[in-house]
Amino acid sequence: MKLFTKYNRVNVSATIFTFVLGSIAFYFVLDYVLSRQLKETLRSEQFEIVHYVEEHHALPEIQNTRHQWITVEKSIEKLDKPQFKNIGYYNERDKENQSAKQLLFNIEVAGQNYLITVNKSEAETEELLKLIILVTIGMIALMLLFNYFINRRLINKLWQPFYKTIDDIKQYQVSDKQPMRLSNERIDELNLLNDSLNKMTQSIYREYAALKSFTENASHEMQTPLAVIRSKIDLLLQQSELNEQSLQQILSIEDAAKRLSKLHQSLLLLTKIENKQFVLNEQVDLKEIILEKIKEREELIDSKQLKIETFCKATTIYFYHHLAEILFNNLLNNAIKYTPQNGIINIELNEEFICFKNDAFNESLDTNKIFQRFYKPNDSRDGTGLGLAIIKEICNLAGFEISYSFKDHQHIFLIKIKTIE
Amino acid sequence: MVEFLSASGYVCESVFNFNDAVEKIEVYDYDCIVLDIMLPGGSGLQILKYLKQNNKTDGVIIISAKDSLEDKIHGIELGADDYLTKPFHLSELSVRVAAIIRRKKFQGNSVITLADIEIDTVAQSVKINQQTTELTQKEFQLLLFFVINKNKVISKNAIAEHLWGDDMDIASNFDFIYAHIKNLRKKIVTAGGEDRIRSIYGVGYKMQLP
Repeated sequence: MKLFTKYNRVNVSATIFTFVLGSIAFYFVLDYVLSRQLKETLRSEQFEIVHYVEEHHALPEIQNTRHQWITVEKSIEKLDKPQFKNIGYYNERDKENQSAKQLLFNIEVAGQNYLITVNKSEAETEELLKLIILVTIGMIALMLLFNYFINRRLINKLWQPFYKTIDDIKQYQVSDKQPMRLSNERIDELNLLNDSLNKMTQSIYREYAALKSFTENASHEMQTPLAVIRSKIDLLLQQSELNEQSLQQILSIEDAAKRLSKLHQSLLLLTKIENKQFVLNEQVDLKEIILEKIKEREELIDSKQLKIETFCKATTIYFYHHLAEILFNNLLNNAIKYTPQNGIINIELNEEFICFKNDAFNESLDTNKIFQRFYKPNDSRDGTGLGLAIIKEICNLAGFEISYSFKDHQHIFLIKIKTIE
Repeated sequence: MVEFLSASGYVCESVFNFNDAVEKIEVYDYDCIVLDIMLPGGSGLQILKYLKQNNKTDGVIIISAKDSLEDKIHGIELGADDYLTKPFHLSELSVRVAAIIRRKKFQGNSVITLADIEIDTVAQSVKINQQTTELTQKEFQLLLFFVINKNKVISKNAIAEHLWGDDMDIASNFDFIYAHIKNLRKKIVTAGGEDRIRSIYGVGYKMQLP
């Protein structure tokens, strides 16, 4: 729900509630005032009659009008004081039932007691009341309508800079290499928002830049000591006086150094992919790369007597050549590593998908964990545990969908791709 | 590095910062310069630029941990002859250095002769005991690797990385290296040459030459 809608809902219902309450109160007050006025009129009529009788000692001549009439009856019973009554009657002219107010009082003229009834129709009052209420309702409606449109226009205009800020935020990427610069507004609250955002992105950007330069520096600074370790190992190996045990230890140091270096490169690559430092704008022929990567591994494949079946159609996509190489390197390395002797690796490529199938040693891998970093099935010690995580990140970057399944004792990796139209 | 290369018969000098490097370059002409990109006091690439501006013909191998493709291309564009990413095996560096020196000294017309082995690196042909011997691409590379790193113990890792690069996951399986070496030895012996490749148990191999 929009803020405006929410505000409007509350505003309109509050207004309607207030007006309804006000109108009801207004009605009763008006009704009270009008009926008092009616009673006043009746009283003044009584006063006139009494006054006339006192002066002339005779009943006045009675003139009835449409809305006011007086009846005079001889009566023996006496009222203690004048009485007001409401009566209903049938108005012949208007042809409807109407109500009227009555004032009954006694008067004595020449020893004769009369009961005088002064009637005044309430039709006029009612009409007045109706009119007033109608006008009130009309005014409420008009006010609500105006209110609605004015608010709408005003609020839309007021929120304009807010939406601009939102758009700016949407478009902002930390990798743009600069903090956000939002303009100053006339509204204090928006200014506050923009200022805070500017400050926030500034600190985010600072940290991002620091992290980036850390990873880049770390890349160099960590590989250097590793290179030193390796050089020294190569030198150590040249010493003829070493016994077999020492050699084995030196070799395991070499292995560890190599793994560390690989691990480091892999993590760095993951960071680079996540930071979107690769732009996928090169036209890359996937088939060519797959075949090339298979050829590079010919000896390795032969030594395990694996059979590779390829069903590849020439497929060109927008990609980054180096990343495509890494993708297939990792897929192929896994396939070769985890296929038993004499096993079959099946590779399929077309405009819709890339599919790697290979015979498995064991059971299915854990589908939930397989693409997680440092996931290694059965605690296997070699490998960085990052190969599949890298594959997954590359797919994410390109917007490809990767899935793993296990069928007919085969590991199946399926990547749905997007080709160039 | 200096120790390893010196043992291979090269005369080596080393400096550890930018200014010393520039000084040395001005004074001497080298066959090959191994250049780290990140130097205290400046970038190795600046030294490379300096060399090219002054028409120095020293061969240059850049060494860097920045394994991104752009850096590699950038370095080669600036005129480097080769590019190595850290970490690397010294035997690998030795082969690269040898290749550059060969190119510089003999204008690409080089035949390496070592005892009864004769390797033409341009024609990629091998004569053993005066007899032309057919070797596969990989066997040729292997032999050259051994000859240049003669009398050095070369680990299986170094051989694998030299022949197949770093992208392959070969750590778990060195059997096929053994197969290649076996074939190479067989061919040498068949041609009447002396098999000088020694297997160092569990570690790697070594070509023993007098």
